[in-house]
Amino acid sequence: MNGLAPVLGVVGYYEPWWIQIIKSIVIFALGLQIVPIVLLGERKLLGRFQGRPGPNRVGPFGLLQPLADIGKLAFKADFRPRTSIGWLFQLAPIISILTAAAAFSIIPFGDTVDIFGTPVGLYGVDVSIGPLYLFAFGAVAFYGIMLGGWASGSKYSFLGAMRAAAQLISYEVSQGLALLGVVMTAGTLSLTEIVQAQQGMWYVVPQFLGFLIFLVASFAETNRAPFDLVEADAELVGGYNTEYGGARFASFFFAEYLNILVVSGIMVTVFLGGWLLPFGINPPTFVDPFVVLGKMALFVVFFIWVRATLPRLRYDQLMSFGWKILLPLATLNALVTAILVVVLDS
Amino acid sequence: MAEVVFFLAALGALAGAVGTVALRNPFYSVLALVGHLISLALLFLLLRAEFVAAAQVVVYAGAVMVLYMFVVAYVGGTDIQVGPLNSRTTTAGAILFGLVLFIELTIAILGTGLKALGTEGVGIGADGVARAGDAGFGTPEQIGELLLTKFLLPFELASFLLLIAAVGAVTLARRRGGLGDPSGSTITPLDLLRPRHTGTMAEGVGGSRRITSQEQEQEGVEAGVTSVRPDDEGKE
Repeated sequence: MNGLAPVLGVVGYYEPWWIQIIKSIVIFALGLQIVPIVLLGERKLLGRFQGRPGPNRVGPFGLLQPLADIGKLAFKADFRPRTSIGWLFQLAPIISILTAAAAFSIIPFGDTVDIFGTPVGLYGVDVSIGPLYLFAFGAVAFYGIMLGGWASGSKYSFLGAMRAAAQLISYEVSQGLALLGVVMTAGTLSLTEIVQAQQGMWYVVPQFLGFLIFLVASFAETNRAPFDLVEADAELVGGYNTEYGGARFASFFFAEYLNILVVSGIMVTVFLGGWLLPFGINPPTFVDPFVVLGKMALFVVFFIWVRATLPRLRYDQLMSFGWKILLPLATLNALVTAILVVVLDS
Repeated sequence: MAEVVFFLAALGALAGAVGTVALRNPFYSVLALVGHLISLALLFLLLRAEFVAAAQVVVYAGAVMVLYMFVVAYVGGTDIQVGPLNSRTTTAGAILFGLVLFIELTIAILGTGLKALGTEGVGIGADGVARAGDAGFGTPEQIGELLLTKFLLPFELASFLLLIAAVGAVTLARRRGGLGDPSGSTITPLDLLRPRHTGTMAEGVGGSRRITSQEQEQEGVEAGVTSVRPDDEGKE
């Protein structure tokens, strides 16, 4: 066991293998708990934005609606089209859910705390490569969508997958370049160290342009409105998951919402000071995870708000916006930051 | 545990490599290559080269193979099979180039004398715990420093090579008419903010110029594929 432990576990201290196993279970369970809440929140808020009550029949205030949805999806017939390719068709949702959960594990919910005398970091892993870990799993997540669309053997799914691929790859570049500014300012790739570097001032202030670029690119990366061309229901029925039903559809759905949580968590960590509070408020350590969750909730509500407000872009608009506006801006941001870092350092 | 992961990753890498050349369906070949690259990344991870592992996945699996997959998925479906080429010259050529590549790799490996090859991987002692002295090896900081000092020239040359390839690809695509009419394509700030022939009010009242058939072809499919190209540059 010890052979692998240092590879996955340590930055600065040693973590026993059993804590790593507990952590991975907690992370997955946490994601599994938050996603239905986000789902319900989205349907409720969308209802309010559109002047209707939203789901309010199942349980008090419709609170049990997500449970009913999950039950419905889980008990549906497990079908697949005759033209689909069996094992790839089954593999695709697994890849999606796996990569989303893996990416969720780098979000720090707090600093290292002592539990029964063992130092435990309130995050899955604090990898020395930080954001690159996120992009690596984002790269693999692409194959979940691509295989899902291709293996379905349906033209709508295929077109949806192709759009997803082009969109993900286009906006990933701007997203990475936007983070580069923060990494250069903080001088580290480790996410916990980035949070600690924000003691004086959150990076949303000096890196405001980077924050905006990352925010916009995140909408495209998570296939949310107004960049939800992947599942433009007027043209493509439902995008890459058109032919999926039951539990496999639920897996895609779960991964999609988990990805929203991941980008929200990254934005909180990198731009909004993670578990830090402004004005010198320093609450006890056990409050830290709730601070992070609260800040994440802000972003999730913003995502829902935008979905209810903005119409969908056209495909060529999406592409020209990504390559002609967002990418030059992100490059400029990285360049100016680099120059400033060098000038202010010397 | 490390041994188990090593053998799993090694088997995956070998199986992926064999599958890439042996499979008849090009789509599965690409998938096998992706599997091979991810297995290689796992091996890098075992050597505590986290940055190289992540770069491997982001650049190769995430950008290069995506383009391969684009092309294969558009051009050939499941029913188009790549048959063996039974020409004598191709067989001879394959053997020749395989031999050349093998000799080249041997020279590269022996010539540089990769010092980590014979060890457990730098930074890990016999007990499997990271040694404090070597903690800096393989970190993004050290790789970045080496790239900008010792290996600056090869690094810049490689990026120029990629730039030339990208420019060449765009030029070739333009000559075949794939990128539309180059004349009259001066870009003004207004065009950046509001691309031409989009659904604007100006177009609605007939103020915009007509869309040529060539430009219509370029929309959608072509635009997606060609505009993805520069990504290679961004990743490197």
